Amino acid sequence: MPQPSPFESRRAAGSRLEHAFEARDRNQPAASLPRIGIFGNGFPETLVAAAGGVPVHLSMGQLSEKTAIDEIIEPFVDEEVRIFLNRLMNGEFADFLGIVFARDDAPALVAYQYACEWVRQGRAPAAVPPMFLWNLVHATTPAVERFNAIQAEKLFDFLNRIGLNRPDDQAIAEAAAAEGRRRKALERLGASGVSGTVAMRWRNAGRFMTAGEHADLLDAALGEIEGGARGGLRIGVIGSPLLSPASYELFEGFGTIVCDWQPWGAVWPGPGNDKLTLPEILRATAADPSCPRIAPTTAFRTALLDAVTEARCELVLCQLAPTDDTIGWEIPAIASALGERGIAFVNLGFREPDQDTWHERAAALISAKLEARK
Amino acid sequence: MTSTYVPLESTKFATNHQREWAKGLQAQITSGAKYAFVNADTPHELFHYMDVPLVTNQWWSAIIAAKQLSEYYFDYMETLGFHDRLARYSSLPLIAELEGDRERQPWGGLPKPSILCARQSADDHQKIFSLWAERTGAPLFLLSSPAVPDPHPEWWRLARSDWESFYGSDRLDLMVAEFEALVEELEKLTGRPFDHDGFARYMEAINEQERIFEEASEILASAPRSPIRISEQIPNVMIPQWHRGSEWALSHARRFRDELAERVRAGSAVVENERIRMMWIGAGLWFDTSFYSAFEESHGAVFAWSMYLPFAADGYIREIKGDPLRALAARVSAMNEQLHQPPWVNSWLVEQAKKYRIDVALMLIPEHDRFSGHGSLFAKKALEEAGVRVIEVWSDMVDKRQWNRDEMVARVSAVLDAVLAEKGV
Repeated sequence: MPQPSPFESRRAAGSRLEHAFEARDRNQPAASLPRIGIFGNGFPETLVAAAGGVPVHLSMGQLSEKTAIDEIIEPFVDEEVRIFLNRLMNGEFADFLGIVFARDDAPALVAYQYACEWVRQGRAPAAVPPMFLWNLVHATTPAVERFNAIQAEKLFDFLNRIGLNRPDDQAIAEAAAAEGRRRKALERLGASGVSGTVAMRWRNAGRFMTAGEHADLLDAALGEIEGGARGGLRIGVIGSPLLSPASYELFEGFGTIVCDWQPWGAVWPGPGNDKLTLPEILRATAADPSCPRIAPTTAFRTALLDAVTEARCELVLCQLAPTDDTIGWEIPAIASALGERGIAFVNLGFREPDQDTWHERAAALISAKLEARK
Repeated sequence: MTSTYVPLESTKFATNHQREWAKGLQAQITSGAKYAFVNADTPHELFHYMDVPLVTNQWWSAIIAAKQLSEYYFDYMETLGFHDRLARYSSLPLIAELEGDRERQPWGGLPKPSILCARQSADDHQKIFSLWAERTGAPLFLLSSPAVPDPHPEWWRLARSDWESFYGSDRLDLMVAEFEALVEELEKLTGRPFDHDGFARYMEAINEQERIFEEASEILASAPRSPIRISEQIPNVMIPQWHRGSEWALSHARRFRDELAERVRAGSAVVENERIRMMWIGAGLWFDTSFYSAFEESHGAVFAWSMYLPFAADGYIREIKGDPLRALAARVSAMNEQLHQPPWVNSWLVEQAKKYRIDVALMLIPEHDRFSGHGSLFAKKALEEAGVRVIEVWSDMVDKRQWNRDEMVARVSAVLDAVLAEKGV
């Protein structure tokens, strides 16, 4: 049996990543393990892996069919919550063993509360899996550390109750090692010279498979590439969660995205994932500055500004979901700080339901900014 | 139909007291006294007990709105680069501060606070208070806000004495630890130690005050006709609540309860021929409080319920159990959430609507203050299933730019017409 050429292997791995990204939570991971749904950033997936499950993110899917729950979702609720709740009540997650919601990710708390209440009222189909609220607090005081340790115990109780193992130190260390391999592979991805659009797709593909499989696919897809900087304007993307390859391609019509610091960008996987012990995992997760609820409050903006500065961005683009109520408070200060650093900033405002209209407006705003800087 | 309505004596006492208190506070803080600027759902009790004067964000917001300044500030907010879908009720004081023209503001503006305090109940509170801290250089004390993962719907039955299991020991431990850190800050600020025994007595006094308000609420709910307008309910509850546990507050609560009882005994009513009983759901419509009496003459419809009075009992009474800080944590750790998150908000509103024999509810849904708007449609559905007609009011507590009174009167009138027709009137 002839072995596939390195080029064919690379191509197959790339296709596999592309497929996983497109399929999202419908992707079938290589490992035949129970799947645990995750809603929101801020949950260390390592802990599910250590319990013998595959963590699969559920907030990025597409709406197939509205259900009765739609009538109680206010228009200012984030779109990913609306889609998730409809899909949940449509039985689309019936094959998941359980779902974990990250309280400190704003949409996740609403998703959890609305889902639980619909279930409590007896209006949900029987196929809604058990749900767990991951209550981790993003601060670093001793009292918070004690509280977060209790939350981990509650999580382990939940995972055990739904049929997974209670993670021990060794299982956590092994899962963290796989996350460590993933982190290295993602670092290679960032330095490989692939476009920001491809990097976003390949990174997020990992939200739907094990860390080990993700690391293997990334390593295979990147092959022996030693990397190299792509030319053109160095762009940073910030703001609300964004998953649209078309938007990325539009932005990259003006240069290359070298810093993707929005919630569905390079801030995932969280910094706790590849720590080797539970206390280290909890401490690093609680100190993740990309969480808008981080204390001290200045950590978020400082980390964002450091990220775009270290990436030597020349242009930073901010885009917002129509339901934004947090990043909007940061925009004037970010604009001012970037101005002081000589980095161009364009606030593209709210994304519009019609993508073409929004892209047309975004392109015009970016062009005008660049023209003005000439 | 309403020409004979006479305002309560208590209202005069309350507003006079508040005016004098505000003058005193203004004199205190503008002459350099240390004061705290805090959000409404923080432990005011600690500041009061340590004699640190405080200005509450939402109260100050209502003061600015009542002076008809909100329109100006929200327009200004956009010129700063903040988008127009951000919170308003909780941000109006910040925008006034950022605008910087103190002469325009009530009291000639607020001086730099000695401490800022917010709870992270809503996702944007820490952002708003962080900007305050950056602007003024005042230290910010944040209280964390993990959620209750398995909220029992009938919180008002369990939270008074079963609060340990209801709110969760882990959450209460965390909140008590944060209170202790706050107390340390206040001790440094005032130079005086915190007296736990004295604080226990103070907490008992607050419970006593809230029990009096509970009696007042029972009187209103069971009265054959509503004896007072909610525009009078609100100051008679909220002003003592801002001063809760003080001698004046207890005495005023009694005065208010007794005057209500007297009115009911005398057969007084806002509307002689009361036909429709309504509830106003949400915070006050601070820039147009006369709206609350807009349907009395036309439809015999009276607003009989606003959340402030019944919430004084259900939201505040917490058995002390020998641990006043922990009891305070039980009061604060889900204070606002109980008014805005399912299953708590829907269950409580249905309970209250039944108790007050409500026909129609007007539900304020502030889409730019998402925390206060969440759960609204759950509550609407629950109320409708309980036989209450619900009118959604998509507006804001302090931003009148979205408020069209004539249009709202027309919308409400149409519903009231239908209710009267159903009742055969």
